[in-house]
Amino acid sequence: MTTAARHAYESHDALLDDYFERGWTDGLPIVAPTPEKVGAFLEHAGLAGHEVLGAVPTREVTCTAEQAAANAVMAGCRPEYFPVVAAAVRAHLHPKGNSHSTTGTLSGAAQAVIVNGPIRNELEVASQAGCFGPGFRANATIGRALRLVIRNVCRAIPGFLDRASFSTPARYSFCFGENEEASDWVPLHVQRGLAPEQSAVTVHSLMKMVEATDFISRTAEGVCDTLAREIRFNGIAGDSWLGEDGNVVIVIGHEHHRFFRAQGWSKVDVQQYLWSRITAPATSATDRMARIGRPEGILVVAAGGAGMAASWLLLPHLALAITEPVASPPRLGK
Amino acid sequence: MELEWAGVPSVAIVHEEMRGSAEAIARVSGCPDYEFIAADYPWTPTAIWSKEECLDLAEIMAPKVLAALTGRS
Repeated sequence: MTTAARHAYESHDALLDDYFERGWTDGLPIVAPTPEKVGAFLEHAGLAGHEVLGAVPTREVTCTAEQAAANAVMAGCRPEYFPVVAAAVRAHLHPKGNSHSTTGTLSGAAQAVIVNGPIRNELEVASQAGCFGPGFRANATIGRALRLVIRNVCRAIPGFLDRASFSTPARYSFCFGENEEASDWVPLHVQRGLAPEQSAVTVHSLMKMVEATDFISRTAEGVCDTLAREIRFNGIAGDSWLGEDGNVVIVIGHEHHRFFRAQGWSKVDVQQYLWSRITAPATSATDRMARIGRPEGILVVAAGGAGMAASWLLLPHLALAITEPVASPPRLGK
Repeated sequence: MELEWAGVPSVAIVHEEMRGSAEAIARVSGCPDYEFIAADYPWTPTAIWSKEECLDLAEIMAPKVLAALTGRS
């Protein structure tokens, strides 16, 4: 049962025109959030419409499951994606996810949604070649659903509470899976305390994403030195509110990953090697100390396809990366 | 605004480029006429300002804060 205000339209074109006019879209067409579809999404996630997924107190905003479901429909999700969307909304609206700052900032921070666990393959969330870009329904629509919630529920509308000077295409949608099959690396959600069979999302607000290309190195140490150099060049500012718990996400690409596999490096090895180097004292304005308080604050994720000797740095905005379990869909009995 | 609601006389200081955001927050909080004092755009993040830089801004802002608190222009 849905409770939202209802609007009737003579045609889908009329609906789209009205939604654009009211500022309810990201500029792209949407799927009409009919009561039936919204209800099906809620049912699939086992959520009641009035359940609260989170809040943005500075904006007098509370986000209900029904609101999230309506935006997930609009984004083009399938019903079975909604448990992932709901978890992503919960993660983003965690107090340390800092929705107010990360969606209002002049810097135009974006939100990366990283999917782990069995649901990643069940929903065909791409984690290999092309996983950051278009072509994968789950990636495209789950990431878009979170951004539509940020716009339509959390009021992050350009010129209103979204004050980005440029913004970024990553704000249309940014969702990918960890390639858990790439190696015996412990998946991100397990490193963060969840069971391997538990599906999860990690939402990370990023100030910018930087490609760390290195065709030269042939060792784990060499690749890590390149990553550390890029991090120190770009800088990671600390914040007393976040304390020692700051995060940076490092997405290790296929070609770089092979060197870690060959030398038997675990994620913990990568974290410890990198942490000591990125936190060493600054030597110049372009070689700065990163304010990451602990090695575990470096979140290492395997993803991407073969060919390009690159990894990606998702440099943080003023927020922690938050990992939330994905509730088991009751109809799937998992 | 929350300090004001708690009975603490307060003045909100924003920098010019965030005035629009502050005014939007005032609107959604039901106080569209809430007055802000604006400072010039801070070219470096305030988190890394030196004590001297903070004092320089304080000298500029203090009279404006006092005027806002006492209602004097």
